[in-house]
Amino acid sequence: MAEELVLDTAIRDWVLIPLSVVMVLIGILRYFVSKLMRTSQLPDSKIIKEGFVIIRARNLRAAANFIPVKAFRARKVYYTNEENGLLHVPKGQAQNPQAQMFSDPNMAMDMMKKNLSMIIPQTLTFAWVNFFFSGFVAAKIPFPLTQRFRSMLQNGIDLSTVDVSYVSSRSWYFLNLFGLRGLFSLILGEENATDDTQRMMQMSGFGFDPSKSLGAEKDGLDIVQHDWVLPKFEQRAEAVLRKRLSS
Amino acid sequence: MASHDESGKKSNENEVPTFNAENLQSNMKVVYYCRTFMSIIGGVIAGICGFTGLMGFVVYVLVMAITSVCLTARAGFSIHSYFDSWNRVLLDGFLGGLLVNVYFVCAVLDVSFCA
Repeated sequence: MAEELVLDTAIRDWVLIPLSVVMVLIGILRYFVSKLMRTSQLPDSKIIKEGFVIIRARNLRAAANFIPVKAFRARKVYYTNEENGLLHVPKGQAQNPQAQMFSDPNMAMDMMKKNLSMIIPQTLTFAWVNFFFSGFVAAKIPFPLTQRFRSMLQNGIDLSTVDVSYVSSRSWYFLNLFGLRGLFSLILGEENATDDTQRMMQMSGFGFDPSKSLGAEKDGLDIVQHDWVLPKFEQRAEAVLRKRLSS
Repeated sequence: MASHDESGKKSNENEVPTFNAENLQSNMKVVYYCRTFMSIIGGVIAGICGFTGLMGFVVYVLVMAITSVCLTARAGFSIHSYFDSWNRVLLDGFLGGLLVNVYFVCAVLDVSFCA
């Protein structure tokens, strides 16, 4: 059960290394293609205005303790006022931006393009791996695993006595997929299209941006407790200046 | 490694430390890059030396500890003027680097230990 299998150099030369090289090259290609295909969409002014309001409200919340109580309250009322406060969205309007966003053809096209550019190379490579590189042991995982992983990792290999650490090339593909993300973030800089999870988070957060976050900011502002941290700051500034000037 | 400009974060406030968000974020990016790079190097070394299983994991933890010490030294041991908490600089890219590390260990092991 614990025999020591040694891999043939042919497997190393023609399976492991080409697969890794191909995945790196496809990642680089995808990065450049997505850069080229990025259409410059004209941003909607209403959405941008709302975005800026949110940023201002957020700054107010973060720096609330540095301005006097009255000033803070005045600003807070300006934002959260029921009648014409900037953050107050009447119920009927709340749904509109979202629906608009999804029916806007540019936005939908953009999202579809991003999705496709992610899914197609992965699907193609996976199919290629399955077709050419199945039915033999490709790699050995350095740590011991239990028997449950056998069906997941060794799907092309029909022997049941082979140690679970010896895996097929499909699992080598997946290992490449996850392990090369870190490498891509190093060599391609920040904006690389290979990090699926980041992309999915961005996409899911984008659709709800305007309506819900306005409400969230309003609630956040409502619960801020003002704690004036600069009491007597004129006296303190005077003391600091005196010390500086006298030394 | 960290030739990036890690400028100080504190504003002029005496008592309440505030941080410039942009600088903080760029410092975190530097930490992330350093960790990824070191986990790649650590993975390659572990693969070449033939460490498998628990030993490989121990090597990874050791490499991460060395990285943390070096980052702390680069920040002049006054962590609080560059990051907002100790946890960030010590533990941040740990799990992400683990995957990269495992990948490179496998790769080097399989490529080098062949007939």
